[in-house]
Amino acid sequence: VILDLERFQAQARPRWSKLEALLGALEGRPDRRLNPSQAEQLQELYARTAADLNRVTHGALAPELRQYLERLVARAYAELYYATPTRSEVWQLRRWLRIFTEFPEAFRRQSRYFALALLITVLGCALGGLAVRYDPASVDVLLPADYLRNPGGRVHEEEKGLNRHRPSPQIEAAFSAKLITHNIQVALLAAALGVTFGIGTALLLFENGVLLGAVAVRYTQQGFGVFAAAWLLPHGVFEIPSILVAGQAGFYLARLLLRRRQDRNMRQSMGEWLVLIAGLAMMLVWAGIMEAFFSQKHAPALPYGFKVAVGVAELALLTIYLLLIGRRDAGAEVRAGISSEKK
Amino acid sequence: MTDSQPTRLPVTAELTIATPEGVVFRLPLAGPAPRLYAMLLDSAIVLGAVNGVGYLVYWIFAKAPGYGVMLITLAEFAIGFLYGAVLEGSWNGQTIGKRLFHLRVIDQSGLPLRIEQAWVRNLMRVFDALPFTYLVGGVSLLSSRLMQRFGDRVAGTLVVRETPLGAPAEEAWTRQKYNSFINYPALAMRLRRAATPELASLIQDALRRRNELAPYARREIYRELAEYLQTEIAPFPDDLLEMLSDEQYLANAAGVLFGDQRLSRPHT
Repeated sequence: VILDLERFQAQARPRWSKLEALLGALEGRPDRRLNPSQAEQLQELYARTAADLNRVTHGALAPELRQYLERLVARAYAELYYATPTRSEVWQLRRWLRIFTEFPEAFRRQSRYFALALLITVLGCALGGLAVRYDPASVDVLLPADYLRNPGGRVHEEEKGLNRHRPSPQIEAAFSAKLITHNIQVALLAAALGVTFGIGTALLLFENGVLLGAVAVRYTQQGFGVFAAAWLLPHGVFEIPSILVAGQAGFYLARLLLRRRQDRNMRQSMGEWLVLIAGLAMMLVWAGIMEAFFSQKHAPALPYGFKVAVGVAELALLTIYLLLIGRRDAGAEVRAGISSEKK
Repeated sequence: MTDSQPTRLPVTAELTIATPEGVVFRLPLAGPAPRLYAMLLDSAIVLGAVNGVGYLVYWIFAKAPGYGVMLITLAEFAIGFLYGAVLEGSWNGQTIGKRLFHLRVIDQSGLPLRIEQAWVRNLMRVFDALPFTYLVGGVSLLSSRLMQRFGDRVAGTLVVRETPLGAPAEEAWTRQKYNSFINYPALAMRLRRAATPELASLIQDALRRRNELAPYARREIYRELAEYLQTEIAPFPDDLLEMLSDEQYLANAAGVLFGDQRLSRPHT
């Protein structure tokens, strides 16, 4: 088919301009909803312009005209086939509040990745703990900071309040913000490292576990076990699980990318990853607040037993939240769906 | 489209989409350079916003600097993470920088991106930015056929170029009344068959930019092009050549290549 470009353009230009004007109007509107007559018009103009594009592609040497028509067709295609979320959907408060139930549901659905993250961390802990226990030389390698190697001095300082300039809620507030943002960044990295097939996530979790185990054993060895528990538990019971959730999100992402081809609903799967991250961010906000305002107060002000009890109570609440809130059967349903899809 | 804007940008990478109706179209993908410029501009905007908030907070919390620091830290973090995700999610794949550099993030299937995708690709920046200055993201982008950084690969998104295009205007050579090449249909046909799209574009551009070229350069370019066509592709007879300047020769060639393609114009 060979085309008389001039005549063809003269004939077709009005409908291209019409389509352009219609697209301009639609793209400018915030909700981008079509009414029936617009939809009909768009459909017709799209079909005709697409046919024009076909003719230009195969019947003429007109790269610019082709580019112009390709752009038009692409825009019309996007308008026609995209179901836009409505504005109210995006800005509804209730939708955002649902995250509080969606998070534990997602957590339970993907619990096997949490188990994997937990396993790797526990292995790291065991290695770190055993190394410090049986190989004193490893202490210098595993625990880089002096206050971790020789907790005595630090504990003394902490208990006397020497480490702190002046106990003031302002400094605690600033400290909590620093902790929250830093921890969220680290956790997010662990979750994002899922793209390395989960290897990066695993390494990060393992390293974290080694440090955790080494510190725990070192402090206990030197007789500061109770102090350490009181110092770390009130925020640690949220911080450590949140890193595990980050690992869970990382492994989930790795799995997601590996079987991307089979996944029919990538959108929902990515939503699940985002929900896990939103959840761990919430946990870290709480952990940051506790670490700055509560954990740093020591024996004379707050008895160690009380601090440990608070930590244990927090852990119990977190466990109940993660295991019981939201729909109970949500996990089973989706898992059944996935396994039936696999077949 | 004015003459000063080259419309055939060198297409380094493109995505070809075949729709369910059997329509095929291509989307030009954005390379690293415009994306870097857009990102630098966006970073400057974020930095400006953070500093603006900083001054405001400093002024409001003059008596309680600790709370001020807390607010600034949280605001900086929030703005840094929200800027890209919220803007791309609610502004059809564009941030301010992307809009100014005519870039848009879209779904791999050619459809607008969804809010989840905007969040995923922006949260993945913590990985793409490793170990410094987006090295990981840059390597990923350069090694990807679809120019995707890792965030794009995970979210299933692409960044496309959207240089504004108008419908092509009427070309000068279509206005000439008479094209003497038509008298030699066999040669004209040969010219059309042998001319690659690149060569045709070259002739088109040379003629279009007539008034931008210095007279000497124009003479040289037209002479070389005409000579090439004459010797390598379609040797029109010498008595015709004597009557034509190089520019007329090229205009005729363009008329053959782009004009009425039926070549059935009656002999006059």
